[in-house]
Amino acid sequence: MVYITSWDEFVERSVQLFRADPDSTRYVMKYRHCDGKLVLKVTDNRECLKFKTDQAQEAKKMEKLNNIFFTLMARGPEVDLSEVTGKEQTDVQPTKRGRGRKQ
Amino acid sequence: MVLLQLDPFLNELTSMFERSTEAGSVWVTLKRSSLKSKVVRNKMATAGEAIEYRCLIRATNGKKTISTSVGPKDHQRFQASYATILKAHMTSLKKRERKDKKKSSESDKREGTSKRPKKS
Repeated sequence: MVYITSWDEFVERSVQLFRADPDSTRYVMKYRHCDGKLVLKVTDNRECLKFKTDQAQEAKKMEKLNNIFFTLMARGPEVDLSEVTGKEQTDVQPTKRGRGRKQ
Repeated sequence: MVLLQLDPFLNELTSMFERSTEAGSVWVTLKRSSLKSKVVRNKMATAGEAIEYRCLIRATNGKKTISTSVGPKDHQRFQASYATILKAHMTSLKKRERKDKKKSSESDKREGTSKRPKKS
């Protein structure tokens, strides 16, 4: 199990891993409230990247990563990621509902 | 394995978090899937149809597993709700006390919070 210490490296490598093999890459998150620990794992069944933390600020970063993965997985690995903000750039399937319902 | 719709899944996920506060973990897995078998996929590929992919989300507390699948149309709404749930429940993580990196010589992941108790 490879534990990555740098958050940015973890993000970059996991996105690369996903883009290389989107059908077998999965992202797992484990949270233990009693220990106050959060562990993230991205694997394609050949290589495995892990990240663990007990910091609240890392949880915020994880939320951004969640958004990235959701976008990648739902829309496709060729999606142009602009780090969460500009998600409406993909013109594969323009969502009609998404415009007025942003909360 | 229980496959649910989006909103019931979110409700169940919330109660799973609430129930595991004292002991136990919550695992959430995200994977891309077309929810069709390989045979069907190959057929669709040869027929020239585009395969629609969805994001499969599974959650478990070790005993019970729930899952749901999110398509590109619902993913933004799901993402927002999911982020809210996580923020509401991940309260036991440590808040960072020192802002500049010079003072905290070791990395942030040290558990030595007893040196300067600000919350005493």
